[in-house]
Amino acid sequence: MRSRMPPQAYIDEAWFARERELLFKPLWQFIGLKVMLDKHNAFITRTLFGIPVVVQNFHGELRAFENICPHRQNPIQVQPHGVRPLFCGYHGWSFDREGATRIPHEDALYRFPQEERACIHLRRFALEVVGNLVFVCLAETPLPIRQQFGAAMLASLTASSLAYDSEVIMTTYEGHFNWKLAYENLRDGHHPRYLHARSLYQDVKFEASISEEGVAGLRRLQETGIGERTRALGLMRSFSGGGRDAPMAAPPDEPYHAQVERYRDQDWYYNWLAFPNLHIASANGGHAFIIEHHIPVAAGRTDLVVYYLTAKKKQPYASSAAVLHAHMMGADVVMREDIEVMEQIQRTLHPSARSPHLGDYEFINASLELWYLDLMEEKFAL
Amino acid sequence: MPCKHVIGQGPELARALAAWRSVAPAAALELRPLELDPAAGQAALDGLEGLDDEGASAFVALDARFLNGMRLDLMASLRLRGIAMPALVEPGALVAAGVRMDDNCWIGAGAIIQHGSRIGFNTVIGAGAIVGSGVTVGHSAWIDEGVVIGRGARIGAQVTLGLGVIVGHGRQIGKLCIVDKAGRIEQDIAAKTFIHATHAQPIVIIGA
Repeated sequence: MRSRMPPQAYIDEAWFARERELLFKPLWQFIGLKVMLDKHNAFITRTLFGIPVVVQNFHGELRAFENICPHRQNPIQVQPHGVRPLFCGYHGWSFDREGATRIPHEDALYRFPQEERACIHLRRFALEVVGNLVFVCLAETPLPIRQQFGAAMLASLTASSLAYDSEVIMTTYEGHFNWKLAYENLRDGHHPRYLHARSLYQDVKFEASISEEGVAGLRRLQETGIGERTRALGLMRSFSGGGRDAPMAAPPDEPYHAQVERYRDQDWYYNWLAFPNLHIASANGGHAFIIEHHIPVAAGRTDLVVYYLTAKKKQPYASSAAVLHAHMMGADVVMREDIEVMEQIQRTLHPSARSPHLGDYEFINASLELWYLDLMEEKFAL
Repeated sequence: MPCKHVIGQGPELARALAAWRSVAPAAALELRPLELDPAAGQAALDGLEGLDDEGASAFVALDARFLNGMRLDLMASLRLRGIAMPALVEPGALVAAGVRMDDNCWIGAGAIIQHGSRIGFNTVIGAGAIVGSGVTVGHSAWIDEGVVIGRGARIGAQVTLGLGVIVGHGRQIGKLCIVDKAGRIEQDIAAKTFIHATHAQPIVIIGA
């Protein structure tokens, strides 16, 4: 079938700006792991769609704010993570759990009128914790998170992420591709046989197949359109899902496996796709997890923030850092294979490039693009 | 004649045998090489069972893999048996008087270790590396060939410094770090930070 996605959806900055407003700002976004925020004053910072965000622990309670001091717009926290009070190092302004400001030498130096002073506080964002996963929403009136992911997906994310250990390794890849290429790639079960023939496919034999039911559903969508918002939200929830994906070619067997509390006991590749831009997988039957968060930066730029952690340690062991580093470098091989092909596609696209041809096995991506284009054409709003 | 078990794998084992032969002629020291695969875990350590400890010394020659942990595990299992594991200083290395070097250190040809430095056990200093005065290098570190460490710097345990790295005077690099990207380091690096030439941003471990 012929895709309706125009090349502009991948390369045009004006399109990207509209996408941020229509798609990303109304939706919940993953921002980090609760295990990274496990003590008073622990924080993480990220820039989501141009907006700097800080999540801070206040005596066990997590709050999300815009990471900009209301005085001179200096970032309040400047490191990507750490343990430090919410305190601006430029002029000493500090902030409490409500975002209210304490200003040193306020009467002597600032003399804000009462009305102006009442407005001086941090902009707060909605925050939800799902198991070990922390999400924020930049919208003034957030969609209930259950409407984005669905109850079953939230339950699965909660159960699996509670198996995470508290020691996490992470890095960021600066990808030169549009973020949608990542979600399309992740929902394409046919590429591992070729692209990852020497890496991931050696361990897990992914088999793409056609779901006649899925294809029939796609045909109905093509005939009737997405329809009104409630139906659109229902369809969006179908883009998220997780659990067992494919059996492993051989039982997982690494020395550290005996040191961790395995998530479930099945020799399967687990996969969770949380629409729009979060992917979690366990390639070794629940002994360890990789979290890939695709943060759109520009039409042709995506930051891929990658976290890797094992299941909970039964007790600390000396080589845990080496295990994490080895896993990260192993995952790096597969990620670079994906990144390389996505960057190749991005370089190839041009304003008059012809639309791609999708096979029936790609019915999920085809449904997703119908939904996406209706959203971008403002046939419904999130 | 005294004997030395030289235990390790691949090019490091070959290099160590050649180096020991250059510092102790065949008539003075019998070298007994043992090649084993440290990735085999306990099975590799079991391979040490048959060694004759009586009057013997040993030397472990493995690369930096697994954050230098495989070399550390192997060395530790020999140490537990009470086998002497003297440091290896290759010909041409210049080690200032009073520099403290612990067991199983390996100082490569042409390396310079300046006054007041301390090199922890099981650490490898590559050929031609320069370690400034008053430097502390923790145990089981891997300092690649030609690396320069400025005076007063502190290098943590199990750190790996790769080709082309220059550590500024007084800088501190926390334990279990890898810096494998050529260039001069002029800020301290937190423990469990991995800077690879292949990665645009550092890899870091948070929590424990």
